[in-house]
Amino acid sequence: MEGRRKVLVIDDEPDLVEMIRMALESQFEVVTAYNGKEGLEKARSAKPDAIVLDIMMPVKDGFTTCQELKGDSETSSIPVLILTGVEEHFGRSKYTKASGMEIEAEDFITKPVDPNELVRRVNALLKKD
Amino acid sequence: MWARLKIPGGLPFRSLGSKLIFSFLLVVLAGGLASTMIGTRMVGNTIMAEAQKKVRHDLDSAWMVYQEKLRRIQDVLHLTAKRDLIMRAVTGGQVEVLRQELERVRIDYGLDFLTLTDKKGVVLTRTRTPYQGGDFQGNDEMVRRALKKEIVAATEIVPQEELAKEGPELVRQVYMEFVPTPKAKERPETRETSGMMLKAAVPILDINNNILGVLYGGNLLNRNYEIVDKIKDIVFKGERYKGKDTGTATIFQWDLRISTNVKDKSGLRAIGTRIARDVYDQVLENGRAWIDRAFVVSEWYIAAYEPIRNIKGEIVGILYVGTLEEPYTDLRNNVIYSFFGVAFLGLVLVLFLAFFITRSITRPIGKLAQATEKIAGGDFSHEVSIQSKDEVGHLAFSFNRMTRTLKDTMEELYVLNNKLQELNRHYLEMVGFITHELNQPMGVLKGFLILLRDESLGPLVNPNQKKAVATMLRNVNALINMIQKYLQLGRIESGKMEVNKVRIPIFAEALSSILEDEKPQLDARKMQMIVENEEAFRKVEGEADPVLLRIVFSNLIGNAIKYAQEGGKIWCGFKEEPEELLFYVKNEGRGIPADKLTKVFEKFTRLEGELEQRRGGTGLGLFNAKEVVERHGGRIWVESEEGKWANFLFTLPKGGKGESSLNR
Repeated sequence: MEGRRKVLVIDDEPDLVEMIRMALESQFEVVTAYNGKEGLEKARSAKPDAIVLDIMMPVKDGFTTCQELKGDSETSSIPVLILTGVEEHFGRSKYTKASGMEIEAEDFITKPVDPNELVRRVNALLKKD
Repeated sequence: MWARLKIPGGLPFRSLGSKLIFSFLLVVLAGGLASTMIGTRMVGNTIMAEAQKKVRHDLDSAWMVYQEKLRRIQDVLHLTAKRDLIMRAVTGGQVEVLRQELERVRIDYGLDFLTLTDKKGVVLTRTRTPYQGGDFQGNDEMVRRALKKEIVAATEIVPQEELAKEGPELVRQVYMEFVPTPKAKERPETRETSGMMLKAAVPILDINNNILGVLYGGNLLNRNYEIVDKIKDIVFKGERYKGKDTGTATIFQWDLRISTNVKDKSGLRAIGTRIARDVYDQVLENGRAWIDRAFVVSEWYIAAYEPIRNIKGEIVGILYVGTLEEPYTDLRNNVIYSFFGVAFLGLVLVLFLAFFITRSITRPIGKLAQATEKIAGGDFSHEVSIQSKDEVGHLAFSFNRMTRTLKDTMEELYVLNNKLQELNRHYLEMVGFITHELNQPMGVLKGFLILLRDESLGPLVNPNQKKAVATMLRNVNALINMIQKYLQLGRIESGKMEVNKVRIPIFAEALSSILEDEKPQLDARKMQMIVENEEAFRKVEGEADPVLLRIVFSNLIGNAIKYAQEGGKIWCGFKEEPEELLFYVKNEGRGIPADKLTKVFEKFTRLEGELEQRRGGTGLGLFNAKEVVERHGGRIWVESEEGKWANFLFTLPKGGKGESSLNR
């Protein structure tokens, strides 16, 4: 459908991805990726309007993926919403526990995710355009 | 070598050994001293008393010698007087015969003079040159009595004129110049001219017992050493002690030494010296015997002096015997030295004993003390080697047993502790892992249930479906809450929980995400969240661990939502205090009874009531919040008006207080 915004969901858990898709697809077009590598490729190719990124992923974790997204000029302008558990991350904080470094994401949401809240946050991201 | 034990009060000694030894010493010294003094005193007195008794007996023996001599003279005279020849010669007036015969008698029996008077007392003949005769002797007391047919014998002082009649040699024999004697009584005379005689007088009787005449005679004692030497031989057996005569005898004519075997410094008989004043007074003046120690010429003697009386009973001289004091004092001193020696030996022995006994006590005690130190220092391998079978040995044995037990127990504990640490670590890892893993499926469940409930996936066609979904969602939320809280608890209670304090904007880092997360709940229950003092609140920065601080806000706000009534208000605010930052979460609602205001912060405490049971809850929310706040160095408490409102407040110290990292 035209005029519908595109959202890329990058998360290694299929069930969760499915849930998010169902939550979003009434309003957005949803593209999915199940790891960081795939996520980067799809970000470049599909050029979404927003990205929902899980911070905890094997192989390439969310932190690195986010860095690369922001580092790549093609994708750097796309707003990113980080999904985070409390353990690995300071939640809404910009700092990771492990590295103590900043993440340049636009927003953070803690798991378990309320789908309504997720929709609201994505809309908020897109409004900033 | 003795343990240095501190003893409060008591003797001022630092060691048990010193105390014991000192006490021993004291007792022994005191006892020894007392007994020695008493003993030596007693012995000394006894010895000296015995010495004096002996001297008394010696004097008695001396008297016997003296009296015997006198008796002998008497007997000689008596027997001579009874001789036929003498009787006839006297009757016949044969002076020449008498003279010859009597002189023979005189010389045979060693008399100094022998004189015959007629029945009127006129001297018929003398028996030594110049053979004077014709003088009247009837005034002499002894002659007078003999004329009365009495046989008498006694000591008599004979003046120079009379001596001259008996014989001029006798005059010379008695003449004695006084030798200056320091302690003697002052006397005007400087020499003695009269003599002291042992004299007897017997009557010569005819067959009809008529008096025919008197025969008298005797020996001069002056310069005559027969008696004193005999006394010495008999009584003292001529013994000597360290080159000195053990016994001496003296005959005094009044206070003048006229016959003695006391030697002066040049070794000659000390005649011519006079007696000491105190003896003079008691013996010559008062007529009493004197027995005491006396310094005679150059030595100390135990002396006995007794007056010599004449026929009339008048005191004319003194008989003295003395026994050398030195043997007795030596004996006494030896006894004393022996006493002291024994006492000293005893003391030394006791000291030795005390030393060893004390050591046998203090050494083990010292060892025990040392061993105890070692144990206090954590070394449990040390054992005490004390072999004795007494109480101390027993103590040591028990001590070792205790040590071994301690050691085993400590080792067990150590092992157990390690296991425990390990288990705890595993447990926490597990908890962390599980809860984290649980979150994933929980998240999915929750998400789908919400979608279902909101009919995003299609309509729910009947009330049962709606109810089912609502119930499922409620339970999933409860599960998620439980997992969250246990995760918090795990983190708080883990031994290696770190409070990573960072300087953060409190609102942004700790509160805002909570507010966002709770927004759906708030809306669902039509509640209002009011942030007070918002401007300052948003600006304030503090030293805190953002993850942990978020737990606090999350729990407090979660509680507020849970326990407030529908449509009620919740206030969340901040106030700056001089030393700390104050935060609070207040809600309208049932409030908390006054007696539960502290109890609510306890682990696993939930408010009672049907409502609470339904809403679920772990009883950990406030406990965890309290732990976190206190780890930050702050305080947390609740104020409440029952039935109206409850206000939870906590503080964070400004700058640098509390714990930054903790290994519990």
